[in-house]
Amino acid sequence: MITLNNISKQFGETNALVNITFFAKRGEIIGFLGPNGAGKTTTMRVILGLIKPTAGVVKIDADDPISERLVTLPKIGYLPENNPLYPEMKVIEYLTFVSGMKNEKSLDNLEKIMFQVDILDKKHSNIDQLSRGYKQRVGLAAALIGDPYILILDEPTSGLDPIEQDKIKKLIKSISKEKTVIFSTHILSEVEDIASRLIIVDKGSIIYDGNKPKQKGGVEKLFKKLINKSTK
Amino acid sequence: MKALFKKELLFYFNSPLGYISIVLFGVFANFMFVKDIFVYGSASLRPFFEIVPWLFMIFIPALTMRLIAEEKRTNTIEVLMSMPISEMQIVISKWLSTVLMVGVGLILTMGLPISMYLLTKQVGVRLYLPEVFVGYFGLILLASAYISISLFFSSITKNQIVAFLTSALVIFFLMIFSTDFAASILPKLLQNYLNYLSPTTQLDSLIKGVLDLRSIFYFVSVDALFIFLTVIGLENRQ
Repeated sequence: MITLNNISKQFGETNALVNITFFAKRGEIIGFLGPNGAGKTTTMRVILGLIKPTAGVVKIDADDPISERLVTLPKIGYLPENNPLYPEMKVIEYLTFVSGMKNEKSLDNLEKIMFQVDILDKKHSNIDQLSRGYKQRVGLAAALIGDPYILILDEPTSGLDPIEQDKIKKLIKSISKEKTVIFSTHILSEVEDIASRLIIVDKGSIIYDGNKPKQKGGVEKLFKKLINKSTK
Repeated sequence: MKALFKKELLFYFNSPLGYISIVLFGVFANFMFVKDIFVYGSASLRPFFEIVPWLFMIFIPALTMRLIAEEKRTNTIEVLMSMPISEMQIVISKWLSTVLMVGVGLILTMGLPISMYLLTKQVGVRLYLPEVFVGYFGLILLASAYISISLFFSSITKNQIVAFLTSALVIFFLMIFSTDFAASILPKLLQNYLNYLSPTTQLDSLIKGVLDLRSIFYFVSVDALFIFLTVIGLENRQ
């Protein structure tokens, strides 16, 4: 369970996050929406313990991700924005390295994960020679190593063509059973397709937290209405 | 920690940077000593041990400059920091892999003591072996200190060239504190302190074959100080 209670974060004079509060349970797929600079990535980094909040409490189960990061991080799989990888490595080398870092010794599990994200045919390829879609799948595979029950995916489909986007969406859906997934996106239809819950942020504050609208195009309507209201 | 250490070490062996740096170091170190070998007139490696710190001043920042700066530029630092490994383990892994790499570079110079031992044996003169062993030990200590300094400068920038230049410059200033030039321009009191802080002053007793605990303590302290500063820098990312 992820708990964020009145989280605020200031960068100099800028309020990046203002009193962010939400809880996320196992099995939820949360679509995190907001315009650029709304605070989506900062919130995700706070959950990971990469950024220390100025005020408020964050807990992963009962542990603080800042002071207990070695306890909380094995529970979290993270795909950062723009998916930074080591281009000089082969896919298998990179994933073996991540396994070592996460103390995951079973190579069978690694094969299973590569099968799951459909990159077995590329395991001996250099990362810098992969297409963007494949790179994204390598990033997802790395996030899945160690079987974390929380997945934080920062714009997992950004920059992909519609076919690759579709593959990644299906992949997220298939791996999300029994996990808590928080993913940020600019593509509103994505939230409609895979999220079970919707959180919209603007200017560092949550302006909506609840179920996604059921009708087609409902997410887009709701998003535009709330952002316009927030801007006024 | 083992995984990161292995990754860093493999990077050196799988990339031109590692090979070029180490081979160039080996060529320069051997050449600089051998070109004047008959001028020295003594069976000693001391001139070699005095040359190497100046070569380290260039080669170590070149090997170390990318270690954290590149991770920051490409944002892979975020991937590292999101894994269950402490900042201390990240820094130690990177530091240790580079110390080992410099050790490999020093192995490339082992032909010098071996050939000098064989040559001097023929003319009935003996190479003083403790001087060789303790001298090499001193070079490893010196390298470890330079690596920790360079690692720190790699951690405060995203630009490898800036990391290289700042660490080379700082090492250069530390080294010239022990020179006659510094003695001639600095006030006596200041000169004494700065001379003590110079790594080449501390290396001096070791290259004479004296296992001086004060020098060992000095190098270990420099390692600890700059590793600590690097860890603090990474922690402050939060």
